[in-house]
Amino acid sequence: MSLSVRSWLANEGGKHFVLFLWLVANTWLFMRTFLLYYCGQQYHYLHKMLGLGLCISRASASVLNLNCCLVLLPMCRSLLTYLRGTHTVTSRKARRLLDKSKTFHVSCGVAICVFSVVHVSAHLANMVNFSFGYSEDFPALNVARYRGEDPRLIIMTTVPGITGVLLVLILFLMFTASSYCIRVSNYEIFWYTHNLFIVFYIVLMVHICGGALKYQTNIEAHPPGCLRTNETRLELMGEESEQAGGDGRSCKEDAHFQPNSPETWLWVSGPLCLYCAERLYRYIRSNSPVTIVTVVRHPCDVIELQMLKKDFKAHPGQYIVLNCPGVSSFENHPFTLTGCPTEKKETFRIHLRVVGDWTERLAELLLPDPRTQSEILPMVQQRRYPKLYVDGPFGSPSEEVFNYEVSLCVAGGIGVTPFACVLHTLLDGWRRFRLRRLYFVWVCRDLQSFYWFADLLCALHHKLWQENIPDYLNLQLYISQTDGLQTISEQRYSPLSSRLLIGRPRWKLLFEEIKKTNKRKRVGVFCCGPKGISRTLHRLCNSDRYSGTTFEFNKESFS
Amino acid sequence: MGKIEWAMWANEQALASGLILLTGGIVAVAGQFRDWQFAAYAIAAGVFVCLLEYPRGKRNKGTSVERTGQYCFTVCVKSFGPLTRNYYVRAFVHAAICVPGGFLLATVLGCVCLGIASLIYLAAAIRGEHWEPILPAKDSARQPVGESIKCPPQNPPPRPPAETRRKRVDDLEGAAYVNPIPVTANE
Repeated sequence: MSLSVRSWLANEGGKHFVLFLWLVANTWLFMRTFLLYYCGQQYHYLHKMLGLGLCISRASASVLNLNCCLVLLPMCRSLLTYLRGTHTVTSRKARRLLDKSKTFHVSCGVAICVFSVVHVSAHLANMVNFSFGYSEDFPALNVARYRGEDPRLIIMTTVPGITGVLLVLILFLMFTASSYCIRVSNYEIFWYTHNLFIVFYIVLMVHICGGALKYQTNIEAHPPGCLRTNETRLELMGEESEQAGGDGRSCKEDAHFQPNSPETWLWVSGPLCLYCAERLYRYIRSNSPVTIVTVVRHPCDVIELQMLKKDFKAHPGQYIVLNCPGVSSFENHPFTLTGCPTEKKETFRIHLRVVGDWTERLAELLLPDPRTQSEILPMVQQRRYPKLYVDGPFGSPSEEVFNYEVSLCVAGGIGVTPFACVLHTLLDGWRRFRLRRLYFVWVCRDLQSFYWFADLLCALHHKLWQENIPDYLNLQLYISQTDGLQTISEQRYSPLSSRLLIGRPRWKLLFEEIKKTNKRKRVGVFCCGPKGISRTLHRLCNSDRYSGTTFEFNKESFS
Repeated sequence: MGKIEWAMWANEQALASGLILLTGGIVAVAGQFRDWQFAAYAIAAGVFVCLLEYPRGKRNKGTSVERTGQYCFTVCVKSFGPLTRNYYVRAFVHAAICVPGGFLLATVLGCVCLGIASLIYLAAAIRGEHWEPILPAKDSARQPVGESIKCPPQNPPPRPPAETRRKRVDDLEGAAYVNPIPVTANE
């Protein structure tokens, strides 16, 4: 299946353009600072002492400044949610770029690590040169106390040295805990080490105040290189000699040096304050209590939770982060909303699947084991639910379902939750949205999983048939495990049982069908499910078989 | 809450430190710094640590993700038996390896990072973790037929008792009965 330029540009063009801009910015900053220290007159003596190490270390430091500034911005989730939800960014192409905020954060993080390695290596070379190139002519330039001082001693006894070592250690801890494997298996290690960023920034501010590198302030009075000219002039009296840098002028005074003024705080303080304000805002917002209204147990280890919170507004497709002090004080877990608060109904709901120890413990607290309860006691008794704190809602790519004329939503298992919220909203009224046709494909392993939203799907199907737009919703349900007799036997779920297919979906045929019935339209493809499905869909969206119809791929991702 | 597996993090750190040691050693040998023999040692130590730490261990609960091409390393590391299974041994070995790196400027960072990794391995060992190799599971072919085919039927097929079935030649009409299971002729 070959790539189509048009499809590729529609799907990948935006984010590659941003990546290109970022690379250009980094390269330009690196070259500019490198040339400043290589050719700049005020650094002439320092450059002579330290050589190439000076230029490389300062250039990599300026790139580090830029990336330390940019790395915080994609993590301001509330700000991004605001930009996405209120359509402050009016172009859908630009809003799609917000989906890639985590990828951008990772790129900046990797750049920070790479350039830290370059910066540290260059500074180690500088330490050696400070020590062995100890200058008797310009004692103010020296960082070493005497010629041949052990470079390790220089590192340990200067403020930039010690803070630099500390920064590298913190970066090492953060980097090694951020691999995909650790995030998937032990998220707490990743979260706690990543919160060391605040220590990193504080130590960074101290690191730049060291004032180890100095520039010359009186270039006109003492042109660099004029000491040599003075000596030669004694022999060549009255002649103008065009020496490099000297220009034949004599030194009127000795060279004066002053430490570089630190500029990192200019880069970093803005985003740092923004991020801290955002965390404070999220903390204050999540501190108001949440009332649990109903807890329902569904088949296949799924629990539905209906909650009420004052001043809680959400759009379909957004997710919240739950914290339950009764289970664990510091763990926060994201769950997509499956029902948003509306004017008629103020409760919002989530469906959570019990897999892992946090959800198991939460399930135990919410629904005590029915076996332990005696059947004589009625179930309607005052149950003491645990306290829950909700942070959010936060935006996700699935919010864009309503902004396409035709959308294809593919869900795998519990990944149906964002689309369930979309369907709930459609039940309230479909006319106010741009969406005119929705293809909904839900793939599950187990037949019982379809019962989570069987009522919702049938209700929407009936309502759309009543309003005489039966082709608005195209439903396809797939069971991927093919053994055993599988059918939905209840009469009231007959729309589902007639649309139930055994086996995996055949995506190419589905795309062909969508292309034939929606010519020259832009179809939004939304996927929330296993990697295999999303990779296949992504490839199909980029291929060229569907000329005339553009498929735009949007993927939901967690962690 | 929950059981954090420290060994996994220590493994990532040790692998990264091995690479840092290796790089520092190469730079120092290439630049022919003073005491470059320590750098040569650092190269060898870095390679050894990388080889030891490359194969990831199996998780206690959940799916373990392998590193690319780690199977041959897993076999080598497994062959050392209890020496590589036990994390106390690893913590001690890493602590011992990292000390000479501290003498040379280029390898100081690798030394400190490996020291941190050794401390975390010690924490993992105290919590009772140990290294399990990830071996490819021998997946049995899925049975196309269910298990019940091995058990003979417990009940006779549903049919009326033998008296009714016995052919009554004198009264053929009265002997007819309705089969509980529909039967079709072999045409």
